[in-house]
Amino acid sequence: MQHVIQLGATALQIGAVYILFSLGLTLIFGVMRIVNFVHGHIFAIAALVVASLLPRLVEGGFAAPTAYVLASLAGIGAALGLGALIYFFGFRHFQRDLVGSFILSIGFVLMLDGVLLSLFGGSVRGVPEIFPGTLSVAGAQITMQRLFLCAVAFLMAAILYWALAHTKLGKALRAVAYDHEAAMMVGVPYGRIAFLGFLIASFLAALAGALLAPVTIVSPVIGTDYLIKGFIAVIIGGLGSVPGAILGSFFVACIETVGGYYLDSSYASIAIFTLVIVVLLFWPKGVLGRG
Amino acid sequence: MKIQLKSTAAIVALSSLVAPAAMAEETIKLGLSVPLSGAAAVWGKGAEFMCETAADEIREDGGISVGGETYNFACLPYDNKYNAAEGTKVAQALLNREGVRYIGGSLGTAPVKALQSLAERQGVLVFTVAWGASLKGTDHPMTFTQMNTPGEILPVLLRYVAERHPDAKSVAMLNPNDATGQETEALASKVWTKNNVDVLTSDFYERGTTEFQPIAARLASMNPAMIDLGATPPADAGAIFKELDVLGWDGVKIVEVGTGADGLKATGGAAADGVYMGAGVTFDGDTVTDHQKAVNTRAKERIGESLNAVQIGFYDSLYALKAAMEKADSIEPEAVADSLPRVTFRTFYGGEIGFYGTNIYGRDQQMRLPIIVTQVRDGQLEEVARLIP
Repeated sequence: MQHVIQLGATALQIGAVYILFSLGLTLIFGVMRIVNFVHGHIFAIAALVVASLLPRLVEGGFAAPTAYVLASLAGIGAALGLGALIYFFGFRHFQRDLVGSFILSIGFVLMLDGVLLSLFGGSVRGVPEIFPGTLSVAGAQITMQRLFLCAVAFLMAAILYWALAHTKLGKALRAVAYDHEAAMMVGVPYGRIAFLGFLIASFLAALAGALLAPVTIVSPVIGTDYLIKGFIAVIIGGLGSVPGAILGSFFVACIETVGGYYLDSSYASIAIFTLVIVVLLFWPKGVLGRG
Repeated sequence: MKIQLKSTAAIVALSSLVAPAAMAEETIKLGLSVPLSGAAAVWGKGAEFMCETAADEIREDGGISVGGETYNFACLPYDNKYNAAEGTKVAQALLNREGVRYIGGSLGTAPVKALQSLAERQGVLVFTVAWGASLKGTDHPMTFTQMNTPGEILPVLLRYVAERHPDAKSVAMLNPNDATGQETEALASKVWTKNNVDVLTSDFYERGTTEFQPIAARLASMNPAMIDLGATPPADAGAIFKELDVLGWDGVKIVEVGTGADGLKATGGAAADGVYMGAGVTFDGDTVTDHQKAVNTRAKERIGESLNAVQIGFYDSLYALKAAMEKADSIEPEAVADSLPRVTFRTFYGGEIGFYGTNIYGRDQQMRLPIIVTQVRDGQLEEVARLIP
């Protein structure tokens, strides 16, 4: 029983990260109809800035939690800046153009690979634990750092879900996602809404980067694995669907956890890709995708 | 008179162009097939740094004297991205476009296999740090190994660990799911069994994985006395040991290809303590020379990490080539390959070494490098055993 609880806790922890990541991807696709491979680099730059700044701030006399908050703000700021640049000089001109945005996206990825490697170096950076300690739940072990990450991820998912349903911006985002021409005809400023949607998605990726920095391997290539898993989650759940992204994230996390435990990590990866094939065969637009 | 003056001026002008060319030293291009991007970029950048360091030192010492001419080395690093597809492109670029006849060093079993097949057909001499045993042997007379590989390290490392922990009679193994991991795993399983250690499980994982909790949960569930992470890169290994620590597992930890404490500590923190490694190099002891310290300091400034055995191989290969070229009095790769097993040269580790390996591989193609067993103790990498083969 204990290992079942441990596996459940592990799936929840991993799922929380994938949720933050896939929410951004699905939001961008829903509003702009583009596939954004740069999402992983926006995530990576936030994690790298946190990993670079945090030790310096701690050495400078700041308490670890204060230093973490400051470094996270800087990381999120840098990621939002990068997101804004990419939008204005790139994706703004390729909205609702899948092929064009795909090629542009790959170009940005190649360029940013080099830039991040040059700026931060290739070596892995260590980030000290901010919330030390472990919580034992019915024999299952969860670190406080992971617990904090889960809480923030679920809170952000809830806020986004609520905001999309109840705020003016949320309603505009949904209107644009359903039918951007009809939305513009009733006065929704599409360009501004698309930019804000892109920034919100970048913010979610940056937040995930800042939260994950103390518990993962921070290097310039950190975003790649999360990007692949995030895309799988949104494909399973349905591109453009927020509940679909959450559902898909949990699917991926559960298969990764249970498959990795009972079989072998390599087989778990194969199982995830097999699941994508099965989903695409029976639900070409994803489980919760719109027709 | 006017014509004579013009002719003289033309001759002077021409000779001023020709003279420096005639006096210039010849350059021998050394191709490097290394990862310069992605997770293993730090190894490739360190390899490039060490190749350049050795090339500069050799140039300052007067270069390579062959047949009355002076030659110098120039390093040409190409990014193989640690995979076979890019390794093939790099091989074609280096051999067909750049026309290199020597590979000063190459990294990654899969990309090196791609390089080796093309190089052998063109008579190009290849140095490699790749761990794959299939790259060695009498079928590959132009390939030489510039770093200890599982064939050298594992018998020494695993026997040392088994003897130090006589009560530990079971091990769980994990390796990356690629050519390096598979070849390492095959040998390590045999060596553990030979040392009367029971292999409970031997799993593989995909490089680039970032969430290691399920892997750690599976390994811990076997309750092994030891966990051997084989060819897992140090940063991944640190993350796995950290998750194992959270789950309460506390046993003997081994990373066979472990090259340094930096990556391990960055992700593992305190959980990295106690890890045994087979390819680590320390720069803190009394035996470390000023030259080693100075080069390591420069390397840390450039790549952000201490040097390791992978990168040092790219320094040693240049001195080996210099010695072989001077002994053969030729820069033809076949003549140099014939000469290499019979020369000794200065290694970065200190002292003069040569090549060996006839007993294992059928020919002397392995540098006779010290096998160093290190362990992370109180956050520092310490040498705990050294064997000169």
